[in-house]
Amino acid sequence: MIQVLKKFLLNPWFQLAFSVLCVTASEVFLKRGAVEAPKLPKELNWTGVSGLASANVWFGILFVIVSFVSWLYVLRFVPLTVAFPLSNLVHVLVPLSSWVFLDEIISIQRWCGIVLVLIGVLTVAKPVARMEEKL
Amino acid sequence: MTVISAVLIFFALVLFVAGQLLLKHAMESTLYSTRFTKFFATGLTAMTISFFITLGLLQQFDLSYLYPFQGLSVVIISVLAAAILREKLTPRLFFGAALISAGVVLVSLS
Repeated sequence: MIQVLKKFLLNPWFQLAFSVLCVTASEVFLKRGAVEAPKLPKELNWTGVSGLASANVWFGILFVIVSFVSWLYVLRFVPLTVAFPLSNLVHVLVPLSSWVFLDEIISIQRWCGIVLVLIGVLTVAKPVARMEEKL
Repeated sequence: MTVISAVLIFFALVLFVAGQLLLKHAMESTLYSTRFTKFFATGLTAMTISFFITLGLLQQFDLSYLYPFQGLSVVIISVLAAAILREKLTPRLFFGAALISAGVVLVSLS
């Protein structure tokens, strides 16, 4: 059981998906935190440092760190020509989560861009999936 | 857009791309070897500087204006990974990367 779990967790493709999910989660938490953060005087407000008062921002930071570590693990096994395009799935998941969790509105043109990114990611993913089957 | 901000946008992009390539190279070396440490530290530094330049640019420009440049990084990283790290870049992978870049640009234009 532990062996199976270990094999699953150490799979670079699982880590890549995990990394992408963590980036998405971090963006949502950071946005939530940024909105509820107290406004500082104008001279200091650009730093975003007041965000540190929000628990959401700390969750966001935690997710950023976790995603970076798992991204490093991915780099150890997957070529950059494959891993980096696939990591761009965040450009699909972040707008979708902004829509679902933050009630943001997505315009038609934006939907088209999102679909284009998704097609690009699938284009990269398909031969990789085939490659994995052979292994 | 002034010349300085154009240079800064360019630098942020170059440092981000360089950072990814350096980190990739580091992770392929033996962990904690001198080579690993050197490349890892340089890569992390490049990413950090790129992050702060971008943060500075965001004070001045809209995110939607800066985002297309970020989108270009997909194609640039794929091409440079093939050229410098000798990775295999099939036409299909390049096409996928180009679609993603186009998509990111389209999202930020809306």
